[in-house]
Amino acid sequence: MLEIKKLHAGVKGKSILDGLNLKVKPGELHAIMGRNGSGKSTLANIITGRENYEITSGELTYNGKDLIEMAPEDRALEGIFMSFQYPVVIPGVNNTYFLRAALNAQLKHFGKKEINAADFMRLIREKLKLVNMDEKYLSRAVNDGFSGGEKKRNEILQMLTLEPKLSILDETDSGLDIDALKIVAKGVNDFRDSSRSFIAITHYQRLLEYMEPDYIHILINGKIVRSGDISLAQEVEKRGYSWLES
Amino acid sequence: MNYFKNEFDAFLDSNQHENESLLDLRKKSFKSFINSGLPTKKWENWQFTNFSNIENQNFRLPYSKNITKIPDILPGRIPNTYLALMINGFYQVELSDLPDDVKISFDDDHLNLSSEYYSSENMQNDWKNCLNPFYMLNTSMMNSGMTIHLKKNTILSKPIQIIYLTASNTDKIMNHPRFIFNVGDNSEMTLIEHYISSNSTSYFNNTVTNVGLGENSFLNHIRIQEEASNSHHVANTFYKLDQKSTLITNSASFGSSLYRHNINLKFCGNNSNANYSALSLIEKKQHHDQNITIEHMTDSCQSDQLFKYILSDESSGVFNGKVVVEEHTKQTNANQSNKNLVLSPTALMNANPQLEIYAEDVKCSHGSTTGQIDPEALFYLKSRGLSHQKSMELIMSGFISDIIEFIKNEDIAKYLNEVASQQLEKILV
Repeated sequence: MLEIKKLHAGVKGKSILDGLNLKVKPGELHAIMGRNGSGKSTLANIITGRENYEITSGELTYNGKDLIEMAPEDRALEGIFMSFQYPVVIPGVNNTYFLRAALNAQLKHFGKKEINAADFMRLIREKLKLVNMDEKYLSRAVNDGFSGGEKKRNEILQMLTLEPKLSILDETDSGLDIDALKIVAKGVNDFRDSSRSFIAITHYQRLLEYMEPDYIHILINGKIVRSGDISLAQEVEKRGYSWLES
Repeated sequence: MNYFKNEFDAFLDSNQHENESLLDLRKKSFKSFINSGLPTKKWENWQFTNFSNIENQNFRLPYSKNITKIPDILPGRIPNTYLALMINGFYQVELSDLPDDVKISFDDDHLNLSSEYYSSENMQNDWKNCLNPFYMLNTSMMNSGMTIHLKKNTILSKPIQIIYLTASNTDKIMNHPRFIFNVGDNSEMTLIEHYISSNSTSYFNNTVTNVGLGENSFLNHIRIQEEASNSHHVANTFYKLDQKSTLITNSASFGSSLYRHNINLKFCGNNSNANYSALSLIEKKQHHDQNITIEHMTDSCQSDQLFKYILSDESSGVFNGKVVVEEHTKQTNANQSNKNLVLSPTALMNANPQLEIYAEDVKCSHGSTTGQIDPEALFYLKSRGLSHQKSMELIMSGFISDIIEFIKNEDIAKYLNEVASQQLEKILV
């Protein structure tokens, strides 16, 4: 599904990813762990196509398509989604209107009929229950006045509504209390199936206790220095990262 | 200035039937207009606006009542409202529909009978320290407009929409409409002052609107400026609020290459409220300049202002806002906010919020911000599959949403939302 080969990339002339390799197959959940500044968020931004991030060499393909020159909105329409580390407040833009516009953009992209307001309300009410969110959030502006935990749940709500093929969870666990973390993890777990893939970026092992990652990758200085199963995350939790530095 | 002289002389000749005091006032006003000339860059409060285009084009007053053609579909018509229609300044009695509760006068009746409004004392009062040649020009050649007087203890069930349409005309015309709106004691109404065009020839509208709110009255004044893109629109609006009255003004301006609006609001009694919100959405080389002064001369009054601009291409905006709190007044609450979204590096905004406070028992706030589209917000929306165009539209419509939400009447809010959305789409192309 996603294939990254010898990727060198950075931001504003500063090189951050240093020959990164990663292959994600359908149905897999990969966890990327690493310290601040190791390149975790850069990886997420490169996959989603944020401006100012530059790829200097290497390959980045998704279902065989070259992502490098693809606009962020086209990547999204192709099924790539990111749950933001810091979800953005969009003042004055109604949350429901925004989500329906996003879903309709996708339906249109695939030549399907757009969803009307009434059908969308039925759909979104079901999704709200899955992330334990109150309906009042639908009538608010996007992320406006939301607490940290509410913002993260709103991200998962968007994921469940748009049903992407590849979801990147960028530090979705940060700022969440244990109850909210369980809700978010359950949302993700229920959404998993043999065709959907996930990349979970995190500092801590905590999130991974509630999800079942297929692979753990340790990112240091823009390179994956070690890959393994959940036991690698447990080891990092005990010993930190320094023993992995060469 | 020569064309003004020629036009004024011809206008006086054809208006000899007017009463003497009015003719005299016209002459005096024209003299002071000629003495002052049009504002230049050296005039404080006018310095960011260039009026040479008005000076250099030979605009002519329209005379013939034979309107070229009344459009089959009236542009700008808002449903569920009464209608007062003016085409090229001429009131269309047959096409208008007004309620019995209001006293209306127009044409000569309006200009002759309401002469107390034009007395020189009143003019002095309106422009204590602020010379305004456009006001003088309007008084000298006021040729259209109307008086609407809502009697005491009356609640008008539907809004009145005044459509001031400048229709296709081969001449470059100018009009100097004078409107007088009075809301009687304990009365309520919603009034739409709507300037619109189906014209492609350059023209010039120079309006004066006097608004009076009686004791314990309510007025929602909607001002919509959808003039043609090559027109010039100068507006002068005066509000006087008697005690316990409430004014809500929603202003939205989209058109004209040059738009200048002078707004003066006076609290003349205690315990009154005024809420003024204004929106300007402009592109290309449009220039919108709004200058507001709110005078708190009495106790326990509250004023709130919100001015928002979206500027693209090489457009430019000016916001000059002043709140004056007079000495010995008590419990004034005044808020002023100006927010601008600049979409292009060649667009320009000049903002100057000011407070002049001579009293102690006062709560005031003011602020002005000018910024660009937040790139984080743009990326967030795009990352959900929305196109660049759609994402920009969403952010901009979010930016102006509070102004639209202030509009209480659903039909009016719907109309303005549609016009604003169309304008945003146009700006983005």
